[in-house]
Amino acid sequence: MPTIDRISEVVFRETITRAIQDVVKTMLNQDAVLHSETEASHKPGSAIKIEGQQVVGTVGFIGDINGLVYLYLGSEFAADSAGHLLGMTREELDEAGDEVVNDAIGELTNMTVGAFKNQLCDRGFLCKLTIPSILRGTNFSIEPISSAVRRVYRFDVGAHRVVADLLMKVEE
Amino acid sequence: MRYKILTVDDSKTVRIIVKKAFKTYDCEIIEASNGVEGLATAAKETPDVILLDVTMPVMDGVEMLTKLKSDPILKGIPVIMLTAEGGRDNVLKIAKIGVRDYMVKPFREEVLVEKVGRIIDLKPLSEGPMKAKSILDPASILVVEDKPAIVQQIQEGLKHTPWKITGVNTTGEAIDFCSRGQPDLVMISLSLSDEAAFTLFRLIRTNVKTKYTPIFGLVVKTDLQAQQQAQQVGFTSLVTKPIDIGELEAKISKAMNLDTSQRYFSLDKDIFLMRLPEVTNQMVVNEVLGYLKSKMSEAVDGGLSKAVIDLHEVKRLDMVVIKLLFQAMQNCRELALQFALVGNAQLVSECKGFEDTKGWNFFDSIEEAKSSLSKSSPVPAGV
Repeated sequence: MPTIDRISEVVFRETITRAIQDVVKTMLNQDAVLHSETEASHKPGSAIKIEGQQVVGTVGFIGDINGLVYLYLGSEFAADSAGHLLGMTREELDEAGDEVVNDAIGELTNMTVGAFKNQLCDRGFLCKLTIPSILRGTNFSIEPISSAVRRVYRFDVGAHRVVADLLMKVEE
Repeated sequence: MRYKILTVDDSKTVRIIVKKAFKTYDCEIIEASNGVEGLATAAKETPDVILLDVTMPVMDGVEMLTKLKSDPILKGIPVIMLTAEGGRDNVLKIAKIGVRDYMVKPFREEVLVEKVGRIIDLKPLSEGPMKAKSILDPASILVVEDKPAIVQQIQEGLKHTPWKITGVNTTGEAIDFCSRGQPDLVMISLSLSDEAAFTLFRLIRTNVKTKYTPIFGLVVKTDLQAQQQAQQVGFTSLVTKPIDIGELEAKISKAMNLDTSQRYFSLDKDIFLMRLPEVTNQMVVNEVLGYLKSKMSEAVDGGLSKAVIDLHEVKRLDMVVIKLLFQAMQNCRELALQFALVGNAQLVSECKGFEDTKGWNFFDSIEEAKSSLSKSSPVPAGV
């Protein structure tokens, strides 16, 4: 069975970058640019520095490799993205409530992680997606257990920042 | 029959995007949020196409697809997978169960419509019972012609209309134009090299967005072979060169199913106005007759009781015009509309020459006719 240590950091970076750029271009008609501050490895216990109200989508992948991806979006960008996806104005979104934005960001995360893991599948790492979930709030941090490999990639989409936090279980 | 498309996806977002993608087409979108609901809805509604996600709670898309294909009644419904689950092995495994197509998210709405359009005959909503567009509404007309003088002649001749005429030289540019927006009508020169006109015609007809767009062929009068070929493949109409702009305008209005009644009928405060143009030929008379009764009834229904029939622009009075005027006056009498005629010296003189028309009275202007109507008793005037 292939193991995670056979995948280099470059492959992870290229794969997640391609996935995010594809989803952002196709669904939001915008360009995502990988930011130079991207951390190839992230120190356990250290929080991802993101300010303000956040909407975080999570989708896992299970199979030959196991892990999950957190996609961090500022709440303003999350609302803009949901509006674009659903063809709704800001007023309509405000009226519909957070649930609509949550579902839209959940679906964007699902598409992103799908595009990411489909590339891994084609490299021989067969896995399936889990159902998305959403986390909302300010001043929080998500920390993996110490045995997980963590990679954090930051992207600029227009004036907004999108962070992809990739956690993978290391095979024993 | 209205086509039904069933979208089975646990994401409300995807279901909304699907609805949005098809909102300009005459079809009904039915929703289900998992495989169990999807099967039940499919059995109840028998949709024409199912769009199916894979990863869903309760029952996933693979299980639903397997059950659907083992049901003798439902197994014939075409299924398009619309899922984030890509990867060669996954796609092959699902394809073996039996799907018509496979789309991996993220997806473009127009590609989804295109794929569904290959399965069902999607018609734009404007083909349905919507309010007809009028000659006063803007429209986009694409002219594919490699001779700039022809494009210029059409642009110049139709500049009094609200239509935007765009000229392109090649089929490539035409395809590009159609992909960026949806023209209301396309004119293609049949003399483009290598039968390009017919290739372009087929491409436009196979695109779900443009398959009902009227397509005219521009052709030299003597090129009978090209005309015959165009008629056989199904060009909406042929326009022969040299182009008669009046005829072209009428053909465009007819092909786009435009409401042209504003050319002839209008309301001026409390007066119903019927106006005939300088050249009132058989084509114009037919057009007027098509609206006459309904427009007069509408006016009376709206509270009007007076009408002016304005003929001051008409150059010649022939039997076709006389018959139309008799019909109009008859309608006025039936609806108890008082009416008056406005004419010119030529008409007055011509009317004297016919037994049936020699008693017609004409006013010199609309204002005079209106003022006579306001003075007169509620008995039909002018005759």
